[in-house]
Amino acid sequence: MRCKGVMVILREGICPGLTEEIIKALQAEDIRTVEDLVSSDAEELAQKCSVSYKALVAFRRVLLAQHAAFPVAGLDLYDELLSSTSILSTGNPSVDKLLDSGLYTGEITELAGGPATGKTQLCFSVAVSIAHEHKQNVLYICTNGGMCASRLLQMLQARTVKTDEQTYALQRIQVFQVFDVFSLLSCLQHLRAAGLQSSTVAGGSVKAVIVDSVSAVLSCMLGGKQNEGMSLMMQVAAELKMIAKDFNTAVLVTNHVTRDGRGQLKAGLGQSWSHVPRTRLLLQRVDRPGAPHGLRTATLTKSSRQVSAGLGFCSPPQYLTDNAEALETAVNTARLVLMGYHASLYMKRKFSTAFHSLQVLSVK
Amino acid sequence: MQRTVSSSPLAPSVKVKLINAGFHTAADLVDLLPLQLCQEAGISQEEANEVLQALRHDSRLCQERAAEGCITALELLHCEQSQGSLVTFSSELDAVLGGGVSVGKTTEICGTPGIGKTQLCIQLAVDVQIPVCFGGLGGKAVYIDTEGGFLVQRAAEMARAAAEHCALLAEDTEQRAALEDFTLEKILSNIFLIRCHDYVELLAETYLLPNLLQKCAEVKLVVIDSIAFPFRHDFEDFSQRTRLLNSLAQQLNQLANQQQTAVVLTNQMTTKVSNGQSKLVPALGESWGHAATEKLILHWEEDKSVGVAKAAYHVSRTRATPPLSGSGRGKSSKRSPALPPCLVFCRSSSRKADGWPLSTSLPGKWKPLSNTKLRVKDSGMPV
Repeated sequence: MRCKGVMVILREGICPGLTEEIIKALQAEDIRTVEDLVSSDAEELAQKCSVSYKALVAFRRVLLAQHAAFPVAGLDLYDELLSSTSILSTGNPSVDKLLDSGLYTGEITELAGGPATGKTQLCFSVAVSIAHEHKQNVLYICTNGGMCASRLLQMLQARTVKTDEQTYALQRIQVFQVFDVFSLLSCLQHLRAAGLQSSTVAGGSVKAVIVDSVSAVLSCMLGGKQNEGMSLMMQVAAELKMIAKDFNTAVLVTNHVTRDGRGQLKAGLGQSWSHVPRTRLLLQRVDRPGAPHGLRTATLTKSSRQVSAGLGFCSPPQYLTDNAEALETAVNTARLVLMGYHASLYMKRKFSTAFHSLQVLSVK
Repeated sequence: MQRTVSSSPLAPSVKVKLINAGFHTAADLVDLLPLQLCQEAGISQEEANEVLQALRHDSRLCQERAAEGCITALELLHCEQSQGSLVTFSSELDAVLGGGVSVGKTTEICGTPGIGKTQLCIQLAVDVQIPVCFGGLGGKAVYIDTEGGFLVQRAAEMARAAAEHCALLAEDTEQRAALEDFTLEKILSNIFLIRCHDYVELLAETYLLPNLLQKCAEVKLVVIDSIAFPFRHDFEDFSQRTRLLNSLAQQLNQLANQQQTAVVLTNQMTTKVSNGQSKLVPALGESWGHAATEKLILHWEEDKSVGVAKAAYHVSRTRATPPLSGSGRGKSSKRSPALPPCLVFCRSSSRKADGWPLSTSLPGKWKPLSNTKLRVKDSGMPV
């Protein structure tokens, strides 16, 4: 069981009966935070400081109750999932088919690809599709200067000729320009604290957060003698996951590619980042002589729902529908999700017996 | 607002000490005095001062950002449409680029040696100064030269030609009055030339550019010619080079976006061997490919000694056949190849080019994407 907010400093008033003198006595024994108090031995501590054993045990009980996670039944989780998850179309039917009908809210999806493979175009297509068809708000965080509102307008003009619809759709897309990882973290924390409601157009909630690209700000912090890069990367991952889960939004990130030892393409930012997105798509250009010019292939390299597959697509507005490439081997279908994200849904599909008696902890 | 200490821009060693002392959010720290922080966290007085300053500055920035709100795509569209663009004096190249080099974005020009990258950069440094009443930007230029290829005589020729061209076009009193500021001497004095000899000087200069641009707000163009040269020799550690280039790319993108200037970079070409075949690709590696927002690749077409660029837009495009010869008076005839892209794009009529006969206004509804890479595509050299 993991305590939420364990690193809270002991201050007067967080617990009834915890006075300044007791705090000073505890600090003399190097007990500064809630975690230190909860994990220490109460008898020993009572002897060293001049605090009664009963008082210490009472403090522990109150603090644990305040900071603990509590279990949720699998059935409740499943019901909550059914009622709150929505699937958002990306605007491109081939990619939707690959992603099991679209982007799922509550999850992080990643698009990886080399330069000019269509990552930003696909992000634009998602933003336009959500703003126009679903009439919901989109937060677009751009880190590399690739945001082009004229392109968004062009995509909208291909969908509808009514200028007021185009205007409303453009108003539902909010753009943040950040260029380094600290600004990105500040932006994400601020959004989370404000509940994603900062100046949204009335009548819509934020359904998607797009970060293009997350590797532009993180890749310069990783490697060499820098020891902070991994920590910052994991903080970004934690923020994105919390935004996805707490506000029921779909998070879409883009990443660059590198080559592994055998020369095969793989997504950047290393092994640790590879566990962060739930679904990963690899985009590549097609350079075959007879192929149409805008053709790209998308390969599903990680999914908890589908067998990995690939297909070809053109950036909107033209797109190919069935041009499936070779199937790759299935990855991660056995990834069990006892961490609470889709536990009950997964269980229901795979095991039809007795899943509602499974106690699943919802980990925040 | 819960800004955590671990996500704040502080030195890592100081962060570790603060976290060990139990401070995890900025709210825990902000009310303390430097001396108290010093004692509780075990850091020096100077570090404590720096930490408190950084956190307070950060929270003030966040409040400002929250107060002004975020920008919607509609407002961004209005900004983009009201901005001019930087013409190159080659109408086909302008058409391919969507009216010229975009202001507020980074553009990379790659090409084999001798194709005209430096010439194009010098031309842009002159073109940025064209007065607003002639359809230009009326700004100044910063030219960072790492190779030593900037020729003042050539810049003078181009400046003289541009001034004469505008003099022929002047129709009303406003334009004639603007011409008085558009003379050879004024043009040359508005190009700020910085010579960098190695990558350290280049990085230092890039750190100083935001301050320079804030003091001198008329600068609308920053040219770095070339960015590949200082990074391609004297570097043993390729991963360090990649990291430096990535952070340089982010700084340049930030500069272009926040100061609303056009940033133009020049890159060289290198040979990539794969599967027994070799092809020319832009230098500095694959990760640098993500750096610039727009990319223009120029190379010679087989026997014709003509520079070619083709757009990789996914909408239908037509290929214009004869190359444009020596467009504009800015190019001397000694240099036979001009920079004609063999691609003509239809553009929307929303952008007018008043008094600018060289850019042909073509009919059509499509506005080219300003966010796509231009690629050379030839039968023998797919890129």
